[in-house]
Amino acid sequence: MPVRYIWIPVLIATILVLMGFYYVSWSKSGDGAGLYSRNWNPTPVFAYWNPDDFYTSVKTVTGEFSGEQCIECHQSVTPGIVNDWKASRHSQADKKVYCNNCHGNNHEQLHMPTPDICATCHNVQYDQFMDEKKYGFPSHALAMERALDTKHFADKPKAEVTACLQCHSVATKCDSCHTRHRFSAAEARRPEACITCHSGPPHPDDETYFNSKHGQLYLNEGSNWDWNKPLTKNNYPAPTCAYCHMNSGKHQVADKSIWQFGIKQVNPLTSANQVKREQWIAICDDCHQNDVARNEFKKLDAERKMAWKKLYAAESILKNLRSQKLFYPTADERPRYPFSLLDKLRPHEHIGFFEGQASAFYNVSPVERDYFEMWYFDNLAAYKGAAHNDPSFIRKGHDAMDAKLIDITKQADKLIKLGSKEKSTGKEIKPGNLWFKGQYTEYNQVHN
Amino acid sequence: MTRSCLIIILLTLSHYTHATTEVPGPSVILDNASCIQCHEQLNQPLIDDWRASSHAASNPVTDCVSCHGPLHNAIASHARRNDTCIHCHGGSKGPVSHSYLNSKHGILMQLETGDYNWNQKLENANYRAPSCAYCHMHAGNHQLRLQQTIQNACHDCHAPRYLSRQHLNGQEMYRIATLKIEEAETLIRQARPQYSRDELATTDNLLKQMQQHLRHVKLGIGHLSPDYQWWHGQPALDGDLLRIKGSIGELKREKEIGKIQSAESVNDTHSKTTRDHP
Repeated sequence: MPVRYIWIPVLIATILVLMGFYYVSWSKSGDGAGLYSRNWNPTPVFAYWNPDDFYTSVKTVTGEFSGEQCIECHQSVTPGIVNDWKASRHSQADKKVYCNNCHGNNHEQLHMPTPDICATCHNVQYDQFMDEKKYGFPSHALAMERALDTKHFADKPKAEVTACLQCHSVATKCDSCHTRHRFSAAEARRPEACITCHSGPPHPDDETYFNSKHGQLYLNEGSNWDWNKPLTKNNYPAPTCAYCHMNSGKHQVADKSIWQFGIKQVNPLTSANQVKREQWIAICDDCHQNDVARNEFKKLDAERKMAWKKLYAAESILKNLRSQKLFYPTADERPRYPFSLLDKLRPHEHIGFFEGQASAFYNVSPVERDYFEMWYFDNLAAYKGAAHNDPSFIRKGHDAMDAKLIDITKQADKLIKLGSKEKSTGKEIKPGNLWFKGQYTEYNQVHN
Repeated sequence: MTRSCLIIILLTLSHYTHATTEVPGPSVILDNASCIQCHEQLNQPLIDDWRASSHAASNPVTDCVSCHGPLHNAIASHARRNDTCIHCHGGSKGPVSHSYLNSKHGILMQLETGDYNWNQKLENANYRAPSCAYCHMHAGNHQLRLQQTIQNACHDCHAPRYLSRQHLNGQEMYRIATLKIEEAETLIRQARPQYSRDELATTDNLLKQMQQHLRHVKLGIGHLSPDYQWWHGQPALDGDLLRIKGSIGELKREKEIGKIQSAESVNDTHSKTTRDHP
């Protein structure tokens, strides 16, 4: 075999890989951030949610200041944060941690403390936190990338999607859980520390936990527990969010994740997932007999299997409609799915996780949106009900999925009938400008 | 002797001077009229503020006793607590209170409410987390809903640039939400002459739902709840907006199919007739 049969493909592959790296770094070098950074500009408030990319210091005060000087001035400017600092361990340590230790001395070059700054002292927690990245999504450490790299985030007006960054900034600042400027570990151990973000239709972690027996015990007795204790065996009469998800205070939530976010089906019985399962059961073992916990996980698997049966049934109805071009409007009769070269060439409807339906919740036909809600809201409500042991949410989620499946079937029948009626007329009735015009739609076309 | 006489005289005097403005004891059951009668003399601006407030204009009126209770002990500290407000403002699960309770402010308040000294005034960052009244009645302002009052409260903890950016972004976020409503309203207005009330019933209901989502966006911005800004707000508005478009699109399509079919059937009958009777 001639040698060129080896080196030519190797050379081509190397060039392609290098070009790939170059393309990614080029696409990340725009005024925004993330993969679509060249397509959008940040709003000024992004500075506080993603300081690394967007924060620049105020220039109104000049000079360099010591910690005591910061405190002296800010006692009258913003007394709340000074009070907080005074009550924090930072002010009570032998070697006090002053404002300037985290924000810098020069008032014209102040910075917002990102996790790497906290890591100066809290390196164990920081390393655990960063290590989470290797487990992929969903994770706290990757949350900001997750937001910035989604197509709907890049596409929608930035003031609108500021809402996303408030939670996804859990990756870029430690005060999402340890609120400034007290940065209390005890506060972050309480379930309430999680629920500002872990609430609402796709992740009703708050309601499902509080409805469970674990949560009920916490609600009834929690205020009497000593929250300064570490999250380990015998310290708490009932588990909290962090007791299970961040056991022993390990700053990692992704390492044991089996069913993950719940928006794609996984095989819970792979060898890797079996290892994770044993890690979960070891925590349950702090209070429960081994087989009790094991059985609960089986019930969760069974619930997930049932949920996916329903979701796939709905997906296949949608895919059938798509193959017959029966959606109204079809993908070419409405604004394009954002940032997709393929869609520019040949518009198509995105159905399910692998086609990116998570970004297709607007500018789609009603039946697609109904499936989005079945998948993203009802399915996840049932999942969280099953995972947190709240039967009411399992019921609620599955009832809603059943109802949506019936409704999607009815809508599909109607679309099929209308489609065949339309065909019999021999004319194509287009929705016209209905999906392209309008105050928000047009604003969104020029603002992202 | 002289000293003890002096003390007795002073005590007697002080008793009589106090007698005219005696603070009602805990056993006296107060009503609004008696509160106002006294406090108009003590602090007229406070009463004027209350009279100008939405509380005074509400039906039934939200008066002194509604928030402070009918007994005079711990009367201010009682009213400063969130429970006082939440009771009327939709309960803890209603969007007004829930959007606050789910925010970081609300979370801290829930965790720390027992640690605070509620006898302190609602100013100068006397409380770590802001309660309803800390912002809406900052420094004891009884007029409520004053933009400036709320902003003053924020400045107790947050930097001016941070606040102005949050404020501008919030205004823009809300404006974007209203654009979705305007888009829906325009579509419905255009459809109104062409379709019956019954045909547009679904659309009208969806618009009503959109108004609820818009309210959630507003509450989410004001109370700093990402959950209300987003999940109960913007994508919910997107969903109902596209359903309105879908519903109007379907009506239009059915009508046009109907038109073509009836035209064809007329043509058919016509051509049949001409064939039968040449």
